[in-house]
Amino acid sequence: MGSMMKEAEHVIEVEKLTKRYGDLLAVNDISFNVRKGEVFALLGPNGAGKTTTVEIIDTIRTPTSGKVSLLGMDVTKKKHDIVPRIGVLPQGFSSFDRITVRETLQYYSRLFRLRDTDVDGLIELVTLKDKTQEIYKNLSGGLQQRLGIAIALVNDPEVVFLDEPTTGLDPRARREVWDVLLGLKKKGTTVFLTTHYMEEAELLADTVAIISKGKIIAMGSPGELIESNANYLVLTLQFVDEQAFEIVRKMGFEPVQDNRKNIKVRVEHTDDVQKILNAIKDAGTSLHSLDVRKPNLEEVFLKLTGEALREGPAGGRGAE
Amino acid sequence: MNPRVVGANLVVSIKSFYREKTAMFFTMAFPIILILVFGTIFMDQENVSFHLYVQDLDHTDSSAQLVNTLELNGKFQITKVEPAVNATQYAKNNKLNLVLTIPEGYERSLMQRMMRNDPNASATITYIYDPSSTSVATKMEILNSVFAEINQRMSGKPPFIRSAETSILTKKYRFIEFFIPGIIAMAVMTASLFGTVNLNTELRQKGVIRKLSTTPITRTDWILANILYQFILAVISTIAMLLVSYAVFHISLQINAWLPVFIVLDVFAFVGIGMVLTRFVREAQSAAAAANAIMFPMMFLSGSFFPIEMMPGFLQTLARILPLYYVNEGLRASMVFVDNMAALRNSAIIGVFAAVVFIMGIFATKWEEGK
Repeated sequence: MGSMMKEAEHVIEVEKLTKRYGDLLAVNDISFNVRKGEVFALLGPNGAGKTTTVEIIDTIRTPTSGKVSLLGMDVTKKKHDIVPRIGVLPQGFSSFDRITVRETLQYYSRLFRLRDTDVDGLIELVTLKDKTQEIYKNLSGGLQQRLGIAIALVNDPEVVFLDEPTTGLDPRARREVWDVLLGLKKKGTTVFLTTHYMEEAELLADTVAIISKGKIIAMGSPGELIESNANYLVLTLQFVDEQAFEIVRKMGFEPVQDNRKNIKVRVEHTDDVQKILNAIKDAGTSLHSLDVRKPNLEEVFLKLTGEALREGPAGGRGAE
Repeated sequence: MNPRVVGANLVVSIKSFYREKTAMFFTMAFPIILILVFGTIFMDQENVSFHLYVQDLDHTDSSAQLVNTLELNGKFQITKVEPAVNATQYAKNNKLNLVLTIPEGYERSLMQRMMRNDPNASATITYIYDPSSTSVATKMEILNSVFAEINQRMSGKPPFIRSAETSILTKKYRFIEFFIPGIIAMAVMTASLFGTVNLNTELRQKGVIRKLSTTPITRTDWILANILYQFILAVISTIAMLLVSYAVFHISLQINAWLPVFIVLDVFAFVGIGMVLTRFVREAQSAAAAANAIMFPMMFLSGSFFPIEMMPGFLQTLARILPLYYVNEGLRASMVFVDNMAALRNSAIIGVFAAVVFIMGIFATKWEEGK
């Protein structure tokens, strides 16, 4: 990146970080910085090394090699000084089954040896006001995650780590969690987020780092990433009959058919759109609908890695 | 160590326990139920009375007197069987394990022996019995001893060998008093072992431990809170067991400073084993199975329910390598036999064991997810 940041503004500095599990190279020599006050998203598919990376930074795991500093301290040496100043929502967060929302927040506040935690304020922030007396076990997945975020904020941390905060939630619950995270962003909290939802990164992040097979392959704001990696358009066509796919293919394009029978074609110029439409018209095939748009992060990712961020559409309903 | 952090964990553990009814049942109610069930069974055996069916074919004053003698022995409740029925068939039909038959001519033979001193005159009393029944042997033994006494008295000479009894105990104790220290030791073991295994595996599997590793709680705080929690449960459970035993069975046991000592050692030993176990068996279900594999031999072989002297020699040797054996022996030494030296010896053995496994357990407990 071109812009020079002052050292003091980096709350996280990762330099040549590598983590091995036996023969498996989970994180392969990655380097990046996170600025104070930004929402930084590590975007990648399952098994890319997201959780390993975040867990090394938030002191759960130790690195094989490389240097990681958090709030100016070495994470391998200063765990005890770092922990009171950060908040963590680990992957697959869970809490004590039979302890209520309020009791859980009071418990974590005591672990941080705090006496003046604004438990009600936290409950308000994650909109759990009418669930304070509910035990953890009886909360839905989305509410459990929101409680997890409140717990991560119990010590008023300088950096918040959220490891896949919306994985496994239905779209509505995911939106509700996003609302909470947008609130954090507005407050200027530094957030380190991992996700495999492109929409999540696009919506929340100031900076996105795309990670694949333990390597960071691109980094920048969502806009920059799209601009620099995907200077093409995506044309989506919905046909009545199947032969349209062949027509487009014979023209020299590389159409892809998704599971809703839409044909997606990547085109360089708006002229190409015109050419394709003309060819279809000439063949006498009728068109249901059409859509031309700029690519999104998911397509950037697809282009950079050749693999999908995750299986199936975002709605989680699975392929028909 | 931070008292507020330990306190916070203690509060969470106790609330969780109180709100989880099955855990409450198995920790508190189950040992009490065991005491009530076994106590009632053995209570009956102490002033036991057997049913005895007698068919008097002689139907004379002498035969009636014999039946009366049996009744006066106090061990039998006698039911008369009609002389007209076939006793064997009667026993079969009514599923009786023993019918005693006094033969016709009993009085005549008795007179012959008494009056004419005829050594050939005798009466044969028949035991019609079911050899597969467990209590029949005891019944027959008691009957034999009653008949032996009658025979001896008829000989007119005083017995040669007499017996005198000297108990090695300062007082006579009942089975229930032997049983209760064993149940206390077992209940504390079970709660400590399973409590630790469940807590650690479940919380690790659910990811709670991972979350805790990102807070300032230390391993020492965590272990200390768990030990304290298990100790509080053990004390409550022991008090409940003792209260029920006093109220229902009027037991008389010595309660002294050894009781808390052995409870503490019992807690430390089995929380330690639990911690070591959860280090190596990571899945909650297999950890529970492993805990069972440790618990069951302890329960049955270390003399919780019955004295190990009742077991074959090699099992007795095995019992002596089980830690619970020393808790049982120690608790009995202090509560039943009031033998301070034996209590001290047993507490030293279990104390060393508890210290070793507990230290191993501390090292085995890890916050990190592994390298």
